[in-house]
Amino acid sequence: MRTAFFSWLAMAGFLHAGGLVFEQELVEIHAPMDAKTVVAEFKFENKSDKPVTIAKFDKVCACISVQVSDGKLNYAPGEGGVIRATFEMGNFAGVIDKTVVLWFDGDPENKPGQVLTVRVHIPVLVVMNEKTLKWTIDSPPETRKIDITIDYSQPIKIVATTCTSENFKVEVNTLEAGKHYELLVTPASTKAPGLAIIRVETDCEIARHKVLQAFAVIRRELPPNP
Amino acid sequence: MKAWAQLAAVLALAAAAAGTTYWVKGPPQRAPRCEAAKLQADEVCLQRVMDEWQGKVLWVDARPRGDWARDGMAAALLWNLDTHENMQAFEAEVAGRMLDGSRVVVYCSNENCGVSRQVAERIKALQLGNEVYVLYGGWRALAAAKLTRNF
Repeated sequence: MRTAFFSWLAMAGFLHAGGLVFEQELVEIHAPMDAKTVVAEFKFENKSDKPVTIAKFDKVCACISVQVSDGKLNYAPGEGGVIRATFEMGNFAGVIDKTVVLWFDGDPENKPGQVLTVRVHIPVLVVMNEKTLKWTIDSPPETRKIDITIDYSQPIKIVATTCTSENFKVEVNTLEAGKHYELLVTPASTKAPGLAIIRVETDCEIARHKVLQAFAVIRRELPPNP
Repeated sequence: MKAWAQLAAVLALAAAAAGTTYWVKGPPQRAPRCEAAKLQADEVCLQRVMDEWQGKVLWVDARPRGDWARDGMAAALLWNLDTHENMQAFEAEVAGRMLDGSRVVVYCSNENCGVSRQVAERIKALQLGNEVYVLYGGWRALAAAKLTRNF
């Protein structure tokens, strides 16, 4: 009786662990600079000795559509298929991970059977060396700068800047037209805390590189991080 | 009635009651067990947020907009990685609320989703100097503590 009980327990564990085996759980894609969509394929095979059913799948955003081998969700032992995930890239640049989460029959809601990740690299053509310029309250209202370089074979020019606060003066210093700029930001006063949003508009034809954003902040000194 | 029949009847009744409860109330909301010693450097347990920091943090919900609106924390700002969203608007909104130096705690659906860590990295990249954490257990931990909007 005891042997039968432990055999049953062992088999239960084995069946639960059984599932589809994926060739890759992480797919890296270096997308072109103007990519609107990116497609990633995850090939799998049922290497267990039992049929496996994909009970459901989930995605982290509405920007993903997922197809499973022409809608087939049940896989006999030895059978394989492909999960094809298509991502709309919007205005993203840089590196972003997108995941598709799969549950097989019997997987609890909080423990999906498989997480697949697509890591998309989209070139950043206009690079700012600082995102935020900071002044502490009552510090001298010195000019600070953000260095902007163009990492592209064609020139990209800065055509306009805007700032949400009249307390800051924003100027563009051209070091090499279409290639290298400095953004010079000077507060009129540092007496009161405040945040300004600075937007830099370029003549780049690709939408995701057309408007950059930086911040100018006046605030009290923060305590050091633990 | 024989003993085995009585046992079967009791088990059947218990199973029926359990099934009805599950059907009416849904599956149990179990709080993810958070062990401080096992956390990654950027993670934090809900208990620390609520006890040590008295919940005085800037909450950021990294889930899809529909989820945030339906059952997020009432005070949480939205910042997800849905490419249909305006990332610059997220940046501006969160940056404006970080001026007072608040700690920032980001959550997504659960401990598997991974989006909160990506959003936390983007918040750190604002270079405002605030401490930024990922909530261990994500929304599931908040829901188990009845801190979400649907409670």
